[in-house]
Amino acid sequence: MAAPSLPAWLALQTRARTLRAFSTAVSPVTGAPRLSPPTTERTSKHERAPRRKALPPRTEKMSVDQDWPSVYPVAAPFKPSAVPLPVRMGYPVKRGVPMAKEGNLELLKIPNFLHLTPVAIKKHCEALKDFCTEWPAALDSDEKCEKHFPIEIDTADYISSGPSIRNPKARVVTLRVKLSSLNLDDHAKKKLIKLVGDRYCKSTDVLTIKTDRCPLKRQNYDYAMYLLTVLYHESWKTEEWEKKKTEADMEEYVWKDSASEKNILETLFQIKAAEKNTELSKEELLSTKEVEDYKNSVVSLKNEGDNENTISQYKESVKRLLHLM
Amino acid sequence: MVALYCGGGLRPLMLSWSRDLPCIWHALHTSVVCFKNRVARVRVDKGNKPVTYEEAHAPHYIAHRKGWLSLHTGNLDGEDHAAELTVEDVFLRKFMLGTFPGCLADQLILKRWANQVEICALVLRQLPAHKFYFLVGYSETLLSHFYNCPVRLHLQTVPSKVVYKYM
Repeated sequence: MAAPSLPAWLALQTRARTLRAFSTAVSPVTGAPRLSPPTTERTSKHERAPRRKALPPRTEKMSVDQDWPSVYPVAAPFKPSAVPLPVRMGYPVKRGVPMAKEGNLELLKIPNFLHLTPVAIKKHCEALKDFCTEWPAALDSDEKCEKHFPIEIDTADYISSGPSIRNPKARVVTLRVKLSSLNLDDHAKKKLIKLVGDRYCKSTDVLTIKTDRCPLKRQNYDYAMYLLTVLYHESWKTEEWEKKKTEADMEEYVWKDSASEKNILETLFQIKAAEKNTELSKEELLSTKEVEDYKNSVVSLKNEGDNENTISQYKESVKRLLHLM
Repeated sequence: MVALYCGGGLRPLMLSWSRDLPCIWHALHTSVVCFKNRVARVRVDKGNKPVTYEEAHAPHYIAHRKGWLSLHTGNLDGEDHAAELTVEDVFLRKFMLGTFPGCLADQLILKRWANQVEICALVLRQLPAHKFYFLVGYSETLLSHFYNCPVRLHLQTVPSKVVYKYM
């Protein structure tokens, strides 16, 4: 009859499968209750709990100096029978204490970092060291890094829970480069700044190109590099219509041939004519120190804007210029 | 109780529920609005009803005294697939309720870790161990094939429901 052999076979099966751990395991000798247990235990049908005895938890067999990373090698939910700490969690009832760790749902809810003790992290680092290479010794300062690698590329990768690894935000590529590291002359630099518009930051001298119009990150990177190349080459070329640049297009104030220069020369000529001084030529007037000062103060006022320094400088230069006369 | 009168001369057809007001045709009985919230809370009774920590706390205690039963990135700012993951959660809870009949001591905890799903359940010791092992293997395999991602089940057995207090 298979009855005596069947429970034995089942008992063997359960023993073989103890690799899967319950936090409190039922005794492996489960064949016994299936045979006739002592009739004194089976008093009533609804008292099933006494039949299943639980083994003592693993924490009682743990030594103080055990290898903890082997208990929690990877991120795993909280197992109260495998964690030998008397943790309590929960809002206590009046004149009570927080609930114990056995059967505590709150401890299961929170993510735990029992697999990341300092010892475990050290072991991980040791294992990863074989795959790491040294930082090149020649690049020991920020300036050297910038000199050899002037272009900086920013990309972002996104990870989220769910079976899909695709995230449309991951295709954005940002390219940053300092214009001082590009080989540009005055005209080329001004033309490049006009071409890029908002993407150039004057205070940090950084050109930022952000691309996301292609579906793949690789394509966006290629497009950004292509844009940089095109901008560089275009800014070196001079087109026909660039000769028609007017004063309104100028990026900064230029004194030569400006209204201010004309005005001051007229004023000086009139003053000289009134005083019947010897005729001084335009170049000699312009080369006098006071006119130079005036020119500097006007240029700084127009380019930097109104602040204490520039306005007082302008005042001084005007006083000196007119006192001369 | 304030009753609205509408239409003076009409006789009511059904007098049974408007006995005291014979000239009402469509009596609308209204009361002052009572803002009673009955969601997910156990009403305080005589003190003989054992409740678990989860049941004892009402939903407004979430993030104050309770945590979340289901953790995933779908509900974060700018993240996708919140709806799909919620539907998955509902299915998983129903599935587990049916697969472990009468054994679940408390609500399930669903954790999503990259593409894995970890189901943490508190179970009572109703079934023999080999049956538990079988059900665990069966649900893990079935759900992994169903959702195309690794699904792991972690059981914790308790002798009986963990009582927090008696309401």
